[in-house]
Amino acid sequence: MPTRPPLLHIENLTTSFHTNDTVVQAVRGVNLHVNQAETLAIVGESGCGKSVTALSILRLISMPPGRFDSGQIKFNNQDLLSLSEAEMQKVRGNDISMIFQEPMTSLNPIFTIGDQIGEAIIQHQSATGAEARKQTLELLQKVLIPSPETRIDQYPHELSGGMKQRVMIAIAIACRPALLIADEPTTALDVTIQDQILSLLSSLKKDSEMSILLITHNLGIVAQFADRVNVMYSGKIVEEASVDSLFENPMHPYTRGLLNSLPKDDSESKLESISGAVPHPAFLPEGCAFHPRCKDAMPRCQQQPPLTNATKENTHKVACWLYEEGGEGL
Amino acid sequence: MTTLISIRSLKKYFPIHEGFLSKNTKTVKAVDGVSLDIDRGEILGLVGESGCGKTTLGRMSINLIKPTSGEIFFDGVDILKLDNPGLKALRPKMQIIFQDPFGSLNPRFTVERIIGEAMMVHGLAERSNLRSKVTEIMQKVGLPNSFMNRYPHEFSGGQRQRIGIARALSLHPRYLVCDEPVSALDVSIQAQIINLLQELQEKENISILFISHDLNVVKHLSHRTAVMYLGQIVETAPTKILNKNAAHPYTRALLAAKPSTNPKESSDHVPLSGDVPSPLNPPAGCHFHTRCPEASDRCKTEQPTPFQLEERHTVQCHLYN
Ligand SMILES: Nc1ncnc2c1ncn2[C@@H]1O[C@H](COP(=O)(O)OP(=O)(O)OP(=O)(O)O)[C@@H](O)[C@H]1O
Ligand SMILES: Nc1ncnc2c1ncn2[C@@H]1O[C@H](COP(=O)(O)OP(=O)(O)O)[C@@H](O)[C@H]1O
Ligand code: SF4
Ligand code: SF4
Ligand SMILES: [Mg+2]
Ligand SMILES: [Mg+2]
Repeated sequence: MPTRPPLLHIENLTTSFHTNDTVVQAVRGVNLHVNQAETLAIVGESGCGKSVTALSILRLISMPPGRFDSGQIKFNNQDLLSLSEAEMQKVRGNDISMIFQEPMTSLNPIFTIGDQIGEAIIQHQSATGAEARKQTLELLQKVLIPSPETRIDQYPHELSGGMKQRVMIAIAIACRPALLIADEPTTALDVTIQDQILSLLSSLKKDSEMSILLITHNLGIVAQFADRVNVMYSGKIVEEASVDSLFENPMHPYTRGLLNSLPKDDSESKLESISGAVPHPAFLPEGCAFHPRCKDAMPRCQQQPPLTNATKENTHKVACWLYEEGGEGL
Repeated sequence: MTTLISIRSLKKYFPIHEGFLSKNTKTVKAVDGVSLDIDRGEILGLVGESGCGKTTLGRMSINLIKPTSGEIFFDGVDILKLDNPGLKALRPKMQIIFQDPFGSLNPRFTVERIIGEAMMVHGLAERSNLRSKVTEIMQKVGLPNSFMNRYPHEFSGGQRQRIGIARALSLHPRYLVCDEPVSALDVSIQAQIINLLQELQEKENISILFISHDLNVVKHLSHRTAVMYLGQIVETAPTKILNKNAAHPYTRALLAAKPSTNPKESSDHVPLSGDVPSPLNPPAGCHFHTRCPEASDRCKTEQPTPFQLEERHTVQCHLYN
């Protein structure tokens, strides 16, 4: 158990999108927390609500069509949803910053790398231009960009995808945020470049108290990089555990399905697969959203199972009727 | 086993014009001297980072792109020397499945037409028996009959990929290029498609060139694996051997870079430094020398040539030759 309260504590968050004829609840009553200096992974398939969760924390959801229907997002015990836009502006970049999946589109093409990192520093630290340039060079060194003196005056199009992502990381850590949100930071990159970026993030993590909220669909990255993990399906957290516990003893039928569908070493055997597909978020099935695909579904699954403790030590939670009192487990 | 596809010294150079007034042209050496064989009923995995030439090689191998030079034999016939009727007869025997299940299907056609059209064109079906033939193939790839009259936008990524597979298989190909067929799909759907491809391949004894950047998928599916870097094949070996005894420094780096799904198996390797160089201006000597932890002076000037380490295990690196 951590001695300090969690840095980030999301309670019962519901974020929805309202368009002409449909309402999509992208995030449906999510509870999660990120402790000080830990890396929490959110893993799940496309459209399950990972990015909307992240964007909700920073209040970067455009409203309308977006809407917060319920919940609190407590950061250092303060509810971010109750802050004014001006107060929120101070939180972004200073206390919480974010790196996005597409390094190609998240840098401004008409400003140099140095301008863009410098701006982050000036905006949040009231530094002078000369100080900002000095700090920018240090940051470029820190994120291991070769020949920073040349790179600082180049434009984004002159950099490779991996280098752009390093620049994004430099901007994100410029003001030493307490929480870094990384939304699929390596998905657009090649394997060897992904490897470089993950190793960079690991070393930054080691030298600071920074917490990381890592969003990914890659279970290998979760296993190698995170301390704890939340599995998300159709807008809900269905399982929460330490990384070791999740990979050793996956409980939710969806998590088990995901792990079983990974290619294994004995290439002779067939892969196990989950039948069907993720439901459309505007037409979710009643109760447990996984039930149309679940081999273990029973009549009770027409109702929503709560996320509850599955171990005495309170280290592993699961939302599935199999593990409720009277349930048999798997 | 006997060879079905034989590729010899294949090259594809794309001219790149710098601005439309400039007379300067550069060339991208997308594929730069590749020789490969694929046996009957063999799945050959082709791995490498983006831009290394996998798609270009795959498309040339079924005559969708004309090579700059080199030879491609299909069942002993040099397809680059065939006339149009000869090519048309060969067309159905060589098919491709694309990465993007969204872009590769005509949005205005029903599933029946998408799957059936090619069969009609190649005389493998007539109006009278089209529906029953399409039904049969849809069953084979696990698509419900009720999809017949619906349009691509009504389907999920996995279902669209099944439609693409059905279209390719409807012509009874003997050689199939799968260009990143599961990369755009979610993990739980990937397994469905991989199983389907494996099953169909075993049943019909098709030869497959399976292109992917996901080493785990290739490891699971392919009998043999070829590793590509900047337009060249740097190592080929039976998949099991490649994963246990990779010889080329690039193959080893790729394998080490792959995050293990076992949290206890932490790897403390040093990541490969630097970026993949541009194919517009590949480094002299061994293309990999700018990133290779074992590069020597010789590697900077002299290109290594393929060297056979063992039967079916070939490597292109000075360390071995
Ligand atoms: N601006 C919006 N308007 C309407 N619906 C939206 C909007 N943004 C997101 N959604 C919907 O909310 C759901 C969750 O989206 P989200 O981007 O969080 O998914 P994700 O888990 O990050 O997926 P991916 O892995 O593909 O990035 C999806 O169904 C998506 O279509
Ligand atoms: N039609 C084209 N014109 C110019 N360059 C091309 C063309 N097609 C591919 N290339 C270039 O050739 C190289 C190899 O591309 P490709 O075969 O698509 O790689 P991969 O499939 O391995 O990602 C890349 O540098 C790419 O930009
Ligand atoms: S609650 Fe029911 S349907 Fe949902 S995962 Fe558990 S057993 Fe399956
Ligand atoms: S030839 Fe030299 S540079 Fe190329 S892979 Fe071998 S050792 Fe490395
Ligand atoms: Mg997302
Ligand atoms: Mg490609």
